[in-house]
Amino acid sequence: MAAPPARARADYDYLIKLLLIGDSGVGKSCLLLRFSDGSFTTSFITTIGIDFKIRTIELDGKRIKLQIWDTAGQERFRTITTAYYRGAMGILLVYDVTDEASFNNIRNWIRNIEQHASDNVNKILVGNKADMDESKRAVPTSKGQALADEYGIKFFETSAKTNLNVEEVFFSIARDIKQRLADTDSKAEPSTIKINQDQSGGAGQAAQKSACCG
Amino acid sequence: MLESELHDLSDDADYAASQQQGSASVMLRSDSAKQSSPRNGAEIVFSKDNVAIHPTQFASERISGRLKLIKQSSSLFMTWIPYKAHSSEARLSDKDRNLYTIRAVPFTDIRSIRRHNPALGWQYVIVVLSSGPSYPPLYFYSGGVKEFLATIKQHVLLVRSEEDANVFLVNDFQNTLQRTLSSLEMPRAVPLACGPSNTSVDESILIENQERADNGANDGRFSVNQFHGRPRHKVDPARDLSIQVLEKFSLVTRFARETTSQLFGENQSNGFSPIDRRTHIQTNLDHPKSSNVEENTSVESPVVLDSQEFDNLSLVWGKPRQPPLGSEEWNAFLDSEGRVTDSEALRKRVFYGGLDHELQNEVWGLLLGYYPYESTYAEREFLKSVKKLEYENIKNQWQSISSAQAKRFTKFRERKGLIEKDVVRTDRSLAFYEGDDNPNVNVLRDILLTYSFYNFDLGYCQGMSDLLSPILFVMDNESEAFWCFVALMERLGPNFNRDQNGMHSQLFALSKLVELLDSPLHNYFKQRDCLNYFFCFRWILIQFKREFEYEKTMRLWEVLWTHYPSEHLHLYVCVAILKRYRGKIIGEQMDFDTLLKFINELSGHIDLDATLRDAEALCICAGENGAARIPPGTPPSLPHEDGSFYAQQEQDEIL
Repeated sequence: MAAPPARARADYDYLIKLLLIGDSGVGKSCLLLRFSDGSFTTSFITTIGIDFKIRTIELDGKRIKLQIWDTAGQERFRTITTAYYRGAMGILLVYDVTDEASFNNIRNWIRNIEQHASDNVNKILVGNKADMDESKRAVPTSKGQALADEYGIKFFETSAKTNLNVEEVFFSIARDIKQRLADTDSKAEPSTIKINQDQSGGAGQAAQKSACCG
Repeated sequence: MLESELHDLSDDADYAASQQQGSASVMLRSDSAKQSSPRNGAEIVFSKDNVAIHPTQFASERISGRLKLIKQSSSLFMTWIPYKAHSSEARLSDKDRNLYTIRAVPFTDIRSIRRHNPALGWQYVIVVLSSGPSYPPLYFYSGGVKEFLATIKQHVLLVRSEEDANVFLVNDFQNTLQRTLSSLEMPRAVPLACGPSNTSVDESILIENQERADNGANDGRFSVNQFHGRPRHKVDPARDLSIQVLEKFSLVTRFARETTSQLFGENQSNGFSPIDRRTHIQTNLDHPKSSNVEENTSVESPVVLDSQEFDNLSLVWGKPRQPPLGSEEWNAFLDSEGRVTDSEALRKRVFYGGLDHELQNEVWGLLLGYYPYESTYAEREFLKSVKKLEYENIKNQWQSISSAQAKRFTKFRERKGLIEKDVVRTDRSLAFYEGDDNPNVNVLRDILLTYSFYNFDLGYCQGMSDLLSPILFVMDNESEAFWCFVALMERLGPNFNRDQNGMHSQLFALSKLVELLDSPLHNYFKQRDCLNYFFCFRWILIQFKREFEYEKTMRLWEVLWTHYPSEHLHLYVCVAILKRYRGKIIGEQMDFDTLLKFINELSGHIDLDATLRDAEALCICAGENGAARIPPGTPPSLPHEDGSFYAQQEQDEIL
């Protein structure tokens, strides 16, 4: 699962960095595990610090390498985790549909993004644990949708456990980011240079890195 | 970063004393001002209190003093004079103080000043002399680095290095432009008549405080000569030590290999490549038993081993690990009433081998400081019963909150919710915690919630459940586990501070240790923008809990809790692991992300015994130089008494 060494020849056309944020226990790591490994485990553990997983997908004939960062949810780790916001191209805001507080906190998380992430970062709202019994549901789908509409972002209800909409969420945000990057590239430079940049991979990766950990 | 944000020094004995010194010096300073008449032309142009060096890791052994810039005629001098010893600093002899004292070094003798602005921790500067050596880092506990540099700039030519914005070159005439500028604009920058050895500042202004007079003038004017007095070309002491460590490792390796060869015959393959043979020849070490490797090292060949070579050497160097301490041997440490007669010997023994599982229950409380070593069986039993009541009282505080009350107590609800979410995600694969409705999981919850009332300011933070889990497993008693956890959190609480200062100070100290013990690796991290050491965050936050299997974690913890070679052995454990994989890290040119991934995936693959041996060796090797790089108060050092450490935690804490 480890990323290839920087000097290795790029095996992708785009490298996209995503970040999962949201309250503790909403299922960020489970969504990531489902998407990257296709598995779901009931032996949950809390995320300490920060980690990421890689999955390369194909979109419109392009290989997109997704580097997805998973963060500790607790407020107190934010001085560490916000350091990673800057490098992110897309952010998945995750709440738990059975936990109203986690939904209410989404506004705080968005404020955090505004403070620390790049301005043009793509966002997507994710209501996880949608498989849970309706009696346990605390946030109706309509409320999630309304919040997403308010911020002008896309919205999905997911279940890492049953694999509901997990692919869709990641593919959706990846597609939007790819489109944004392609637009930016074609505006900024001739396409031949764009291809070169894409192929260089390692160097591009290193450049983004310093933005991320600096 | 403002120092005041980091540590409140107002309750620090050193600080209080220095304040007194400071007020005394106001009068003295006016005296000296009188003396700065045209008669001798000496003038104090800068004076800063609470500038300290750290000869050892202990806060109490920090040497605080006053840094001054003195102008005489057209020359600028720097002095740093330690304050008089307090009784609490008895371990620091006057000799130590004299050793570090900087008496009137003229700026003509200074090559550069490097400013360090750690993300957290105090700003410090390193003054490098033209002749090569540098003074130990001067930590500005009350700020003032900027002012210090600005003042210098008013009097001598000071230019920023083009290579490093934090390096300020003093009187750098290599650069033609600078030379021109200086000759045009700063005619007094380098007083030509000022030879370094025959210049002296009028003693009258040097003798400012009584303790200064105590030191006398007969120690030699440049104490730095005692500190770096060896007639060798020392460029950077840290780099030298780094080389020395490499040499010591290779030395011992060879020693071990030769022994092995003798035992098993020359054809025995030990897995060493021919490269290290060359290394040994180059490092010119013919006396394996020599304690002073440094002396034997040829100046002309300071061989920095390349990473591949180094990795080929067997790093394991510390004393062999022993089997865990068993009951019979344990009983020998106790007198008839159950007192530990020689706690240091016990700690040493536990350090080298850990404890049999049956003993952990009895000994952890001692190691953690819950019971005193000198307590008897009866006293410990008594303490247990008293503490049990106390625990029940605190627990009752949250248990008596009715659901109606809880509705109006958001903080409590949130805290409880967070704890409940975490205990069901803590070590559930372990038999002790597995299965639905496991009572131990509930005990875990109750203890954490009670702790969050015991220390309401700190509250609950993720990672605490990881630290508590083995303690509850070993103590298997709610109240006992709680109090052992309390004792542990006395030291590790700052890891969970909202501003993360406890973590930052440890990561900072780690970077300093790597710089000292493996400068090529340090340079690599620097080049790769990895000096924040975030990739070691999990290691430090929960004491490697996620890196080893459960039993091994408990072994490591009891070893760390002995504080035997150092309170901060865990940082040397970090260095040992990084050193072990340095060849891979540098060889594969890992960037930050790759490094983080690599480190996270080391979990479960680290050899604990070998790592501990390496860590011990590195700790001994670094000695005082290592300790001096760990700022005072760095966890797990005990914080100040009054608990003000947490006072500002709550301000914008949601939970």
